[in-house]
Amino acid sequence: MKEKLEQILKDALKEIDECADAKSLDEVRVQVLGKQGALTAILRNMREVPMEERKEVGSLANGVREKVENALKKRGESLEEKALSLSMEKEKVDITMPSVGVKKGALHPLTRFNNKFMDICVAMGFTVIQGPEIDTDYYNFEALNVPKNHPARDMQDSLYITDNILLRTQTSNMQVHAMEELKPPFKIVCPGRVYRNDDDSSHSPIFNQFEALVVDENVGLKDLMKMIDVILKRLFGENVKMRVRPAYFPFTEPSIEIDATCQMCQGKGCSLCKGTGFSEVFGAGVVNPKVLEMSGIDSKKYSGFAFGPGIDRSVMVTNKIPNIKYLFRNDMRFLKQMR
Amino acid sequence: MKVSYNWLKDFVDIDVSPEVLASKLTVSGFEVEEITYQNEHLHDVYVGKITKMEKHKDADKLQVCTVDVGDKVVQIITSATNVFEGAVVPVSLEGADLCNGVKIKPTNFRGVKSDGMFCSGEELGIDENYIEGGGVNGILILPESMKIGEKIEDALMLNDVVFDINVTPNRPDCNSVIGIAREISALYNLPLKEVDYSYKTCGEDVNNFVSVEVQTKKCPRYMASYIKDLNLTRSPLYFRARLFASGIKPINTIVDITNYVLLEQGQPMHAFDYEHLAGKKIVVRDAKKGEKISVLNGNTYELDENDMVIADAERPVVIAGVIGGVNSCVTPSTKATVFECAVFDLKSVRLTSRKIGVSTDSSLRYSKGVYVNTPINALKRALHLVDELGAGKIVDGIIDKYSVITRQRSFTEPMSKVDKILGIKIERERVLQILNSLGLNATLTNDTLRVNPPFYREDIECANDIAEELIRIYGYDVYNNLEGEAFENSTVTVGAYEPRLVFENTLKNQLVDYGFYETLNYSLYSATACEKLLINDERKNVIKIANPISEELSTVRTVMAHALLLDIKFNLSVGNKNLKFFEAGRVYQPKALPLTELPMENNRLSIAVCEEGYDFFMLKNVMENLLISTSLKYKLVRSTEPYLHSGVSADIIAGDGKKVGYFGKIHPKVLKNYDISHDVYYAELDTDYLSSLKEKTYAVKEVSKFAEVERDIAVVVDEEVTNGELTFAIKSACGKLFAGVELFDIYRSASLGENKKSLAYKIHLLNEEKTMTADEINAVVKKVLKSLEFRYKAKLRA
Repeated sequence: MKEKLEQILKDALKEIDECADAKSLDEVRVQVLGKQGALTAILRNMREVPMEERKEVGSLANGVREKVENALKKRGESLEEKALSLSMEKEKVDITMPSVGVKKGALHPLTRFNNKFMDICVAMGFTVIQGPEIDTDYYNFEALNVPKNHPARDMQDSLYITDNILLRTQTSNMQVHAMEELKPPFKIVCPGRVYRNDDDSSHSPIFNQFEALVVDENVGLKDLMKMIDVILKRLFGENVKMRVRPAYFPFTEPSIEIDATCQMCQGKGCSLCKGTGFSEVFGAGVVNPKVLEMSGIDSKKYSGFAFGPGIDRSVMVTNKIPNIKYLFRNDMRFLKQMR
Repeated sequence: MKVSYNWLKDFVDIDVSPEVLASKLTVSGFEVEEITYQNEHLHDVYVGKITKMEKHKDADKLQVCTVDVGDKVVQIITSATNVFEGAVVPVSLEGADLCNGVKIKPTNFRGVKSDGMFCSGEELGIDENYIEGGGVNGILILPESMKIGEKIEDALMLNDVVFDINVTPNRPDCNSVIGIAREISALYNLPLKEVDYSYKTCGEDVNNFVSVEVQTKKCPRYMASYIKDLNLTRSPLYFRARLFASGIKPINTIVDITNYVLLEQGQPMHAFDYEHLAGKKIVVRDAKKGEKISVLNGNTYELDENDMVIADAERPVVIAGVIGGVNSCVTPSTKATVFECAVFDLKSVRLTSRKIGVSTDSSLRYSKGVYVNTPINALKRALHLVDELGAGKIVDGIIDKYSVITRQRSFTEPMSKVDKILGIKIERERVLQILNSLGLNATLTNDTLRVNPPFYREDIECANDIAEELIRIYGYDVYNNLEGEAFENSTVTVGAYEPRLVFENTLKNQLVDYGFYETLNYSLYSATACEKLLINDERKNVIKIANPISEELSTVRTVMAHALLLDIKFNLSVGNKNLKFFEAGRVYQPKALPLTELPMENNRLSIAVCEEGYDFFMLKNVMENLLISTSLKYKLVRSTEPYLHSGVSADIIAGDGKKVGYFGKIHPKVLKNYDISHDVYYAELDTDYLSSLKEKTYAVKEVSKFAEVERDIAVVVDEEVTNGELTFAIKSACGKLFAGVELFDIYRSASLGENKKSLAYKIHLLNEEKTMTADEINAVVKKVLKSLEFRYKAKLRA
């Protein structure tokens, strides 16, 4: 009986091994373990085995069953695996074929820079506000302490609509609107378009600025310098270097101009930065107390500072845009590069 | 402004290199934009004397010269015809790299060696104005008195370094050598040397020779003096060198003196030919309309009441502050002169200068501002120079007509306030030293800082000004390594975006995902824009720019579409295809014209598509998806936009009846006006309105336990029947069981009949309480069909 069992096992394993598909494997299973199967027959006829051998033969038979079942399972899995990999091989695609569906467009680089800058400012506690682009002489000049005889107030430099209404030449008009409408302390930032009577190869009559203004008790030049340091690092990376030059703006005193490592050449010196390795990014300064007073803020109690970058140039430099006119030409060959 | 390094050294003993000085000036507020070394192309050139000349044996036109260059004797071969034995000439030797790019090395001329070359004035970068013979077409023959062997840059005083300095508008006092010298003295804490203002006179009285009458308010001061027995020669070389380095052409002693004072003191001057001053009278007045004057640049200008002139008894002789007339200028035959040393209104000079397109050293300085007290020392300085150069005899007395008196100012500020502005505390001793070196005469008593600014520092008015003076001299570097953070002593504020920007950015990003590109266009456009867009409503009332740059930029936009259509036109013209653009921008609608109050500025998001196969419904899908995230309840109606195709466009109407946007195909006539030969789809949204809506809120209903069932129907209707009408009817007929309906097919064919179409719908049904039976479903479908037939004569398609 033992020999018989061993023969069954041997035959079964051989056949299983020879099976090429699931169907023949199932046939083997039926032959051995099915109702009419060889092993089933033995188990069914246990009664004919002498009492003393029954236990041994029983466990032997169960062992054979287990081994056959395991072999069937294993072979089945391997056959399935083989079939799957075969069918997958047939489904193989040329991965270099073009994708299907809508191809993403792009934001204008000015918008991207704007958003980055606003994010930085908002995170530092600034509120983004916007205001009129067509404004009165008062908001654009007078209330910003720009003297009556300043060249900017001549028709030649600004685009006027009437004697008293013009297209703002600077987002600084928003300083005045903010100071009139908000109660200190506040921090605001105003992105927007500004207009000049200027149109040549290196100037656009319309360009973009930011105006940031902080009014509070106890703010001064130190806060401005520390804040700008953080902003520059977030804008251009931790390695950016900053250089300060005293400057003149009628609405700030002291006034400074802030240069940062030229982003075109990373400070190596190029034609854009005239070899200095630095390019101008912000005008800034402590708000002139006259300006605070004109807008009804007590300059004895409050002080403030403002800064405003002209962003078109920064956008050009950070994106290596060769010509300022690209920014408003809307040529797809340019826009597509901004994806 | 060009400033000579050597000139600065007249006033301050500078002991740093030009580069160091330049960077120090830059960080203190006087940006040095360029440093020029006069001797850059003058090395290896010496003063030499031709001791012997003989003809080259093999070349007729060449001369072999033996030349003494001090420490050695060299041989130079020349073809120049103006040299002679004994001539003192500039000799360039090996290594020289001349102004015209010629590099010198020893050469062989037909077997005879030449160690270098004689130089012309041009090769040394100078001309006849600078030195006699400097402009001749040949070799520069130098004065015999020159020291043989001396470097040419020293011999000709071309060893200066010139700084091009950008002076800010608040510091007109620094449009002068003396002004910059004062800054340097403060920067390095070096004493400022005394300037010699002394001169001697020859008696008589200026008032016997000339009178001055000021008839305009635009001339707060006019000073004049009279010099006779003029000696109009070339000025001395050192004098010419100063002018030359500063970019001014030397002419003769008197003219040079006026220019010297202009550069040194920042005070423009004029010298009249006394003989040609009719009536021996100077009248400062506004020009008469139509008055003409011929001036030194060779042109004649017509003036009006806004211009100011200096006139004699008969005619204008100078355009005040700008340029002198030919009728009274100093010429070689001038015997006596009147010096003008005046102050003119800066705006008047600037406007006249701009109007006639003439910018001079004088007009530039007047435009930036000359102080009422500046002429006092300046005129003295000019007279001193007349004396020094022996240019003439100075008659006693100075005429001084002034209408403004400058008083010594003095004010106090708490020093603690200055500290607060700076955020740092500068040592008190250093504070006083800086302020006093700037001439501010400061004292500090406890916390009280008193300053007495000189007349030329009108810009110093308050603590902020003092803070600026201190920190720009002390150095902004101090902040680099300062401990602490920004806003340590101030209030915490919470940042936020303007809601419209947040909304706009959401839409922008969505559009980018749909394959759109953002454009930016000028908000100014041509006055013809509305006409091209067939617009005949209030948007026609565009704001006009009073002084436009060009017709294309002459009005402020009331419509976004114009620029986007031009963008499409441009892109098609350069071969770009599949154009999908959007732009967020403003339109500016006046309340009334001409403008008396500020116009309304409204924010718009516009979309333009020119793409093969694009259609109305693709754009509709974009619009629906943009609006789904808002709380807007809207309906679509046929659009009334004049520039859209009336049959293929829709207006988006909000619940309150306001039109908040529109979209559709561009009108064929408009396309023609823009010369675009492809279909263009366009949309616009009022982002001010949409971002002002309250945020969309959600109230979720329980999800049904039972599954939806679907049934398809296809009905044949007349063409006029709309999908909207049919789906509304289906919804109504389904009642509570309605769970959705989708149009999935449209079919037209001759067999359906003329003017007929077949629409196929998938109807979704759901009973919240139980699974629907087939009978129930069939009953609903039947009801739907009956309703469609009753309302729209719809027939079930076989």
